[in-house]
Order: sequence, then structure tokens, then C-alpha cells
Amino acid sequence: MVIDRSSANASRIPVVRVVNLEKVFDGRIHAVDKISFDVFEGEVFGFLGPNGAGKTTTISMLTTLTVPTSGSAEVLGLEVTDRPAEVRKVIGLVPQDLTVDDDLTGRENMELQATLYHVPAAVAKPRIDELLDLVGLTEPQDRYVKTYSGGMRKRLELAEGLIHRPRILFLDEPTLGLDVQTRASIWEHIRKLKSETNMTIFMTTHYLEEADSLCDRIAIIDHGKIVALESPENLKKAVGGDIIDLEFISCNESILDDIKGLPEVALIHGKCEGNRVKVRVPDSGVALPRILSMLFEKKIGIVSVSVRKPSLDQAFLEYTGKNLRDDEGGFDRAAAALQSRRRRG
Amino acid sequence: MIRETLSLAARDLKKWLRTPMQIVVTLITPLFWLLLFGQAFNLNKLAASAGPVDLRVVFGGAPTYFSFMAIGQLAVIIMFTTLFSGVGLIWDRRFGFLTKLQVAPISRAVIPLSRVASSVVRSMIQASVVLIIAISFSYIHGLNGLEFGQGFGVLELLGLIGILVLLAAGFSALFVSLGLAIKNQETLFGLINLLNLPLMFTSSALFPISLMPGWLASIAKYNPITFAVDGVRQLVFNTSLGSAHSIGIDVLGIAVFSSLMIAIGTTLSRRALMRA
Repeated sequence: MVIDRSSANASRIPVVRVVNLEKVFDGRIHAVDKISFDVFEGEVFGFLGPNGAGKTTTISMLTTLTVPTSGSAEVLGLEVTDRPAEVRKVIGLVPQDLTVDDDLTGRENMELQATLYHVPAAVAKPRIDELLDLVGLTEPQDRYVKTYSGGMRKRLELAEGLIHRPRILFLDEPTLGLDVQTRASIWEHIRKLKSETNMTIFMTTHYLEEADSLCDRIAIIDHGKIVALESPENLKKAVGGDIIDLEFISCNESILDDIKGLPEVALIHGKCEGNRVKVRVPDSGVALPRILSMLFEKKIGIVSVSVRKPSLDQAFLEYTGKNLRDDEGGFDRAAAALQSRRRRG
Repeated sequence: MIRETLSLAARDLKKWLRTPMQIVVTLITPLFWLLLFGQAFNLNKLAASAGPVDLRVVFGGAPTYFSFMAIGQLAVIIMFTTLFSGVGLIWDRRFGFLTKLQVAPISRAVIPLSRVASSVVRSMIQASVVLIIAISFSYIHGLNGLEFGQGFGVLELLGLIGILVLLAAGFSALFVSLGLAIKNQETLFGLINLLNLPLMFTSSALFPISLMPGWLASIAKYNPITFAVDGVRQLVFNTSLGSAHSIGIDVLGIAVFSSLMIAIGTTLSRRALMRA
């Protein structure tokens, strides 16, 4: 666990305070395993982890949809289990599943949402105009939602979550199953929201680049536990430098020893895997020429060389021992199933 | 709370009105019942074959079987309309709309109550169609029509509406509660199929209690549909001839049923809408 040492947070008051929060299903599945964290006012806080890591369960507990097994979760000082009704008034949730009604128009969906959140009709009208404009749905607002694309629905969903000007907005997998362009446009809306208001945003995602580009701080969650909590920059720094991937004609222990012996090489990651060796160095620009010239001197044949700069991907691998991308096929199938399920209706 | 309930009920009705097929079904189904069942199923002769009897005693004050069954049909159509009031909840659960409601700062009771409200409106529209068709049959040569008793006026009409609204609310609450509790579409449809026949035939809606075997008659007397049609017949035909209960008991029975079902529905919503 990486301890959050940024002194800026010390003086700030948390808007979400979670202590030893736990959720056990059927007495044995530890979906969320005694996690603790604070979310501070005005930040974008990300929960990053694979499917089944406990992200949605955590959001469900924080938004009063699921009762925790044990532990405490406070939202703006309100304990979620004791005062769910008050919590619901100050938060907004954009759930993973689309919740907009296909048989109503975009505007009708917004009007219904305004009623559900007790926004007076006189206030609701200009606010709906403003929010539809924010998410770029002014023109199609009177069309039935069933004629909307997946991205338009998601943007409508986002606008709905903002109707009562919540102090904290929860976004559960905001771009799940969306294409690259639509994803970028949702990110743009979230960034705009962050820069124009002081809203605190709590989001979950399994897309690394999403967490990287949007979040001020990221909690990496795996098997119900938080394994790291840091800013994206610090997470990447913690991984410690670049990775050089070398492929030899034939790899053996003596080559490994020669490379280890170089002063610029900090660490060997792994062994000969096939004919490949992964080397971690603080600065590949300095280390790579040294490695190559050493290999040339010893007349060791190289097939290929590649260099990877630190990414959140690697950080994730480092903390959880697995590659998030390996699982993605499964996620996208889940997203596709979700889409087709909607179409059937 | 009222504003949210009405808004959600309006959403429900909008969805209904925007499906043209639903409107066609709404208009055609009562016609089928009244024309095929009401005209063909001639209990007049059957009752008369037992000897000289006053049909009005057999048919709860109605002068003919058609007039008798037309009133019963008001209750039957209400039941058939409300049967499906819980199905929308299951779709809302599947499509995530229910999540939106669960996280909104509204009373949990709003969710079933809005469904009950929209279902009552829908069933009353259905019942009006039945009433209009039944009356219009009087003007078509060769068909039996609904004949009102003397003295049927505005007060009696309001009473009729009141009783039917209570019946619709009770049944809607019952089936909304089932939709809340069951969560699985196939199970709910199975249960709906299982329940509609006994509910209909253990009542005096389509068949007079006086002609039922004793065991069935004693069950039928306490079926909520019986309370409703028994009360409405006394208002429409302006007589207590052949009635199962006095009109006071009928109104009380249907009111108790309705309140009980609504109480169950709202209580259930607090539990069923929370994930464990």
C-alpha cells in the first residue's frame, strides 16, 4: 500500500470518509474487504480495478443502494446506513447500466429526474436547458431516447445526474462499452464539469487511460482491497523507470549476468522467457546504448529491442500482479451483452 | 411525494399511450368479451328451465344475463388490466430505471404507488369502454344490451366509479407487490396465469352465486371481485334482490381489501427495493 503523503490533503476536509468498509455476500464472498479511504472536496477520485474487484459494490454502498456488512461510510458527514434519505439528496449517481427511459424524449427524462430530485419547476426549466447544452443534446432533446446512440444516452445520463447540482457525483464506469470517440467526448464533459464547478467526482473505471487522464488520485482495487492510493504521476513513479525488452537469438544465464553487471541497470525483471529478457532501468536513454555496446562487444546476437516508458498499465501490473488489459475481452463481452439486452426491449 | 407519484404514473401512461397496439387491444378486448361471451352464453334459458323463477333474483337484480355479466365484466376487465401492473417493475429493474428511483431522494412507497395510480387509470379507461359498449348494444337490433334499473343517477354513477376504483387499486397493489417480491419475469407470468382464472370464477362476476355449488358459493362470497360487482349491481339495478351482501358490507369489504393490499405493497417496497 502506498501511503498518501501529499501535505495538501492534510488540511482539507474529506467529503467522503470510508473506514473499514466491508461487504460480504452469502457469508463467504468478500466483495469489499475492509477498505478505508478519504475523498476530498473538489477532486476527481478514481477507483481502478478489474471486473469483480469490488468497485460497483463500493459505489452501491456509498450511494445507499447496498447495506454494508460492517464498517463505516460517511458522505458529507452523513453515515450512509443511518441517514440514507439525506445522503441521496446531496449525491448524484450515474450508474453503470443505462437508466434513461427509451420511450420518453430526452427532455421528458430530464423533467422526470427534476421531479424526483424536488427541483421546483421554475428552476428546472432553465437548468434542463443548460445541462442539455452542456452535454450537447439541445438539438435532439425532443426525440425519443430509443433513437439515441449509446454515447448520447450516456451523455443524457450524465446530465440527469447533475439536475439537482449534487455536491458529489458518482460515476460508475462512465464509458463502459462506448467507442473511442464517444469516450473522448464523455471525458471532455467530465473535465468541463471539473473546471467549471467545484463538484467532487468519484468514479470507477477499468480503463487505465481514463483513470490517468481524469483522476487527481487513483485507488487501485483488487479482490476487494485497496492495494495503492496515489496520484497517477506518483503511481507511475513508484513503478520505477523504463522497461527495456530484449530478444536474443538464444538466451542464457551468462547474458543475464552480463546485463546485471552494468551499473546503469537497476533491476532484472524475471528470467529468460523464451529468448526474451525484460530489464528495468531508471533511464533507458542512458542504459540502452551501454547494454547494446556490451552485447556487440561480446558478439551476442540480438533479434529485437523495445523500450516502454512507465504507464499506469505497469503500475497496475506491479500492484496487482496481473495485467489489466488481459481481462478486457471479458469486459467488452459484458458490455456487449448489456447493449444487446437493452435492444431486445 | 404526490408530485413524484403523479410524475411517475404519467410516465407509465405515456409509455402506454405511445404504443398504438395497446390502444387497439384496450378497445377490442371488451368487445370480444361482451359480444362472444355475453351474447352467446345465454344463462337466461338455463335459469328458466329449472321452472318459473324471477331472473332478477338469480342475476343479482339484473333483468337479463347480459346485464348481469356486463357489470361482472367491468370487474373482470379491471382484473385483467391490473394483472400486468407488476410487469413494468420487472422491466424497470432489468433496464436499470429502478436503480435511478432507488437512489433518488424519494420515499420508497412512491415506486409501488405510482404503478398503482397508473394502473387504476388504465383499468378505469378499460371499464368505461366496457360500459359504453354494453350500453350501445341496447341500440343494436338482435343484441342484448345493459339495462339500468329505475332511478340510476349521478350519485349511483359516482358510487359505481368509487367501488371500481377501489377494486382496481386493490388488485393493482396486489400485482405490483408480486412484481416487487418476485423479480423474475417468467415466475411472475406463471403466477399471473395461475391466478386469473380462479380469481374470476370464484366470484359472482360471470356466474351467479345462487347457481354455484355450496362450497364454491361460500368461497365466492368473500372474493373481492364479488364485493365489487355485488355493490355495483345494487347501484345499477337499484335493488338488493339476489345480492350476496348488503351494499354497506360490499363497500366495506372492497375498501378493506384495497387498503390491505396498498399497505402490503408499500411495506414490501421498503424491503424489496433495498439490496441485501
